[in-house]
Formats: sequence, C-alpha cells, structure tokens
Amino acid sequence: MSRKRALIADTFCLTKRRRCAADSETADGAADVRSSLQYLMTLFSRKLFNDSLPPVVLKHQLYSLHNDKTLVDKQVNELRENGELLMFQLGFDSEAFALVFAEDYRTKVLQGEAGRETLGTVEKFLAKLIPGCSDLSFNKEKMLNEFLFTDREITQLVKSGVFTVRDAGSWWLSIPNSGKFIKYFIKGRKAVLGMVKKSRYGEILRTELEERRTTSQVQFQMKYHVHDIMGAELVECIKTTSGTLLRYVD
Amino acid sequence: MLSFLYARQSGVDDPVRLRRAESTRRVLSLELNHNRDVDRIHGNGINTLDIEVIDGRYMLSGGSDGVIVIYDLENNSKKPQYTCKAICTVGRSSRHVHKFSVETVQWYPHDTGMFVSSSFDKTMKVWDTETLKPAEEFQFDGNVYCHHMSPVARKHSLVAVGTKDPKVQLCDLKSGSRIHILQGHRGEILSVRWSPRYDHILATASTDSRVRIWDVRRASGSLFTLDQHNGDKSKASSEAVNTAHNGRVNGLCFTADGLHLLTTGTDDRMRLWNSATGENTLVNYGKVVNESRKGLKFTVSRGCSPEFVFVPCGSAVAVYGLHSGELITMLRGHYNNVDCCEFHPDYQELYSGGKDCNILAWVPVLRQPDIEDDETNSKRGGTQAAINPAFEDAWSSDED
Repeated sequence: MSRKRALIADTFCLTKRRRCAADSETADGAADVRSSLQYLMTLFSRKLFNDSLPPVVLKHQLYSLHNDKTLVDKQVNELRENGELLMFQLGFDSEAFALVFAEDYRTKVLQGEAGRETLGTVEKFLAKLIPGCSDLSFNKEKMLNEFLFTDREITQLVKSGVFTVRDAGSWWLSIPNSGKFIKYFIKGRKAVLGMVKKSRYGEILRTELEERRTTSQVQFQMKYHVHDIMGAELVECIKTTSGTLLRYVD
Repeated sequence: MLSFLYARQSGVDDPVRLRRAESTRRVLSLELNHNRDVDRIHGNGINTLDIEVIDGRYMLSGGSDGVIVIYDLENNSKKPQYTCKAICTVGRSSRHVHKFSVETVQWYPHDTGMFVSSSFDKTMKVWDTETLKPAEEFQFDGNVYCHHMSPVARKHSLVAVGTKDPKVQLCDLKSGSRIHILQGHRGEILSVRWSPRYDHILATASTDSRVRIWDVRRASGSLFTLDQHNGDKSKASSEAVNTAHNGRVNGLCFTADGLHLLTTGTDDRMRLWNSATGENTLVNYGKVVNESRKGLKFTVSRGCSPEFVFVPCGSAVAVYGLHSGELITMLRGHYNNVDCCEFHPDYQELYSGGKDCNILAWVPVLRQPDIEDDETNSKRGGTQAAINPAFEDAWSSDED
C-alpha cells in the first residue's frame, strides 16, 4: 500500500505547529464540545414528542464530530461534574449513553409533572441531583441515608418516570416518557443502516444519504441518525475526494 | 533529522531523544516491502510468533497444524532482497510433534537453548533447541490456551499456564512440579502475562470478563481485579460490576516499562490500565473489532515516543497511539484473519501471522537517496550492481 503523504510524528512537525497556532483547539476545549452538543440538540425533533421530552443527544454522536475520543470523553465528564450536563444509561446498549442539558431536563420534567401529586417529591429530587450528583444509578442505601428519601417517595419517583428499575433495590436515572424516543430511535437506526446496506456495493456518500427521502420508519432527521451510526462505528467512514463515504460493516 | 543530529552532537539534547525520534519515524512508515519475505512452511494458519530477546535474531512460530518453525531474521547476504529462512522445524513427521494446534510458543527468556510450546492437545512441552526433542512435558486436563514465562525473573522459573480450567497453574521448570495454583477466576483462562517490571506480578484474563492481577509470593488470592468503571458502581448493570470488559477478555499486553496494561475483549473494546493501581485510564480507542474465540496476541512498540499498539483486527493490523487512542493506520496485506503480531524493537519491524499461512514482515520505508548520489553512481559505471552503501568498503578499487 503506497501512501502519497507519509505519516509524520509530532516531533518533526515543529515548524508547522508554530504556523498554525491560530487554529489550535486546546485553549477552548470545553467550549468545543458544548457547541457540538448544541448543534446536535438542534437536530433533535422536538415536535415529534409534543414538546414533552428535552432534546436528547447520544454520547457517541460526538465522536463523529471530533477526532479525539478520549478528549471528548474528558470534556463530557467535566461538563457533568459542573452540573451542566446529565448522562443516562439507555436500556438497549451498555455503551449507549444519552446526554441532556440539566436545565432542559429540569424544565421538561417539572412541566410534565405539573398538576400531579408527585410534583413535590420530584422537585426535591431534582434539587439534590442537578448541582451535585453525577451518578447514573442509585441504590436504596444511598437514597435513604444520603438523600433522606422515604420508600413512598422513591415509589413516587418511579411512577413519575425519573427512576427506572435496574435491580432489586437499585434504580437507573431516566428521562420520563423516553420509551417512545427509544422505540423510534432503534427503528430509525435499523432503517438507515438498511439503506446503506442496500445501496450499490453496500456503500453510499454521506451527502447522498442525508438527502434521501426518509421512510415512515425513520422519524428523526437523517443527519441525527447519520451522526449516530458514524459515531457508534456501525459503518466504516472513508474519506474520499467527493466527501465521506459510509460503507456497511457486517 | 539534521537538527536532531546537531543537537545531540552539541549536547543540547539527550542522546535518547534522537533514537526515540528516529524509531517513531520508522514505525510510522511501516509498509510491506517486496525485498523482505518470510519462508512459507506452515500448511495451516499461524497462531503465535515469538522473537527471542537476546539477539533478536531467531523467531519461533506455532501453527494450527501443530508444526513449530524457527526462522533466522538476520540478513547476512549483501543484497537488500532477503527471505527469512526456516532453520529447523518440528514437523508432522517428528515423533514428538503436538497432536493438535499449537497456541503459544515462547523462547526461554535467558538464551535460545530452550523454548516452551503449549497446545490444544492438553500438553505443554519444553523443547531442547539443539535436538528438537522435548525435555519435559506437562499434561493438563483441558485445552491449554496460553502460557508465559517471566522475562525478568532470576529467582524463579515459573511458567504460568492458562487452560480451560478456571485455576491458573504455575509450573516450575527447575523441579517439574505444578502444585502452585491461583484460584479466583470463574471461567476459562484465555491469556496470562507476567509483568516486565516485577518478577512476581502476573496478570490473567478470563471468559468471566475479569482480569486479575496476582502476586505469586502471596498465599491468598489475587491482589485486585480490574474494574472498567473504576469503582463507580452506578455505571454498570448489576451483573457487570467489577468486570474489565462487557464480554470475554481475550488479550493482555504489558507496555515495555510494565507501568501500563492493555486488555482487549469481545465487546470490541481495548482498555489501558495503570498496572500498579488497577485504574482504568479511560483512553478511548473506539471499536477494536474482536471476534476471536481464543486468545488474541497483540503487541506494543518499544523505544518510540508516542508508543504504538499493534492489534490484529480482522484481516488487517490496526496501529493505535497508546495514550491518545487515535487510530494511526491499518496495515493491510493478509488474505485472511490475522492472529498474532510481534514487534522487533531493534529494527522497528513488525511480523504478523494469520490464517492465510503467511508471515508478513512490515519494514520501515527507507529514505530515498538524494538525486546527487544517483548521478555520481551512474558516473562510476553502469555495470556495478546496486549495493547498499552500508556494505560497500572504502579500500578496494575497481581497477583490478
């Protein structure tokens, strides 16, 4: 395999580095991930869920926008420590994590709870959760001792959709009314992957895929699904002179 | 390169810096070269390769047909075109050959007089290289997936063996005993590795998704288990708490300084761990395709400045930066799955073997000679064959 331009180690690129100092991303790293998150949130279709869900983005969608996965992970964790971002474990894949801005989450949950009897408990829980805690799941001892919730209140949290059962005595943090989201997401992902698979030679240019008409199976925007399959490495991304090519991977 | 040479000469830089920079440049330019070949002896896939540490001259390979071959990697002919010859083989006609596939071979770490091979015929044999007869044979109850001898041990000669049994067995080469057992795993042991830093630290990987670090001097169980979530019990589902991977762990490799440990698993992930504390460094390599049902043999470069990991991924070898996690390149050339790869630290070459019965040598691309040199060469006489300038002598003349 002959490479037209050889790979060069960083140590040999000193002069190049000095010239392109203006484009260095290391200075505003966290802002980089935040702006990508905001861009991805705009791709989320709010109207589909009648505005009851906050905009949800998956963590691996960020990998399709940035080269360095470790750096993305680090910055996402920083945002979670600051209390700006919340991470959830969706049920269908142990590696798929959903990200929601904390403020959006709070407004939507309280909006959904308005008028219900569980409102007080949920408010109390959100007040404890948002500035301090960045856990994905909670178990009984923690809820009873650290957060000082009673059993009845925990049941109310499960009823309201903020908690999902994980095990006897432990619960995942979850987004209320997210069942529909997961259903449409999985169906749409399968349909988009099928589109790539059925294309000529099992590969399609990214721009062409984004322009394809969405079938009834695909409820989200094509770009949202394309970021998802690229980031989760369900398709191979090849750089060509006419853009990025997505090739189906068995 | 000239700036590095000048800096070394004037004392501005450490001598190591030039060596590291040049090694890194060479590793980044690894390519298949039609000048370098390895003899094709195996009739079936190649499962394991090992290059001896003393000279870096001889390479062992073990295949799925039970055959073991020794190659000479050194180029003594004065031509650039060289095929690594097979010096001797333990072939199917030998009386002592393994009955089934050879899974792991390893040279004795202190000299090439001996090597150890383990196979799916439930035996591990210690061979005398001179006569190619086994000096010792250890029988086990289940298929032997892997074995490893400590490269730094002076006080003990223990071979750690991983078999179908969840107990890791330590066989002593000096006495022939195998009473030392390490208990703790609940599944088959797919990979074992001694630390290159301490001669008493052993890492084992198993199908129960756990990696355990042992101190063999202790009577009680393992030192610790590697946890992918670093103790954050909230991230995993309850069964997956305290596991290194979400599937079987089938590959282990220490870095050359022994400070970090790499593990690969069938959940298509590779993780880098701090070997002293067991902490997951959370370097994200992305999806490292891994469908191997047995152990996966991968390797890390030595002497370069960002270190590189060479992992067999399907029919290519993927090269990742060790601490950055980025995919540098994929080395494509095999016709079928790649099973093993081995790095030669002195020449920065990579040897990889796979199911297509080929061992491929990935050699750094040399710098092209300058145009000026070409002109002077042609002036001297077109009848002279192209000789590598390193082999040309400065005292003989052509006017004989």
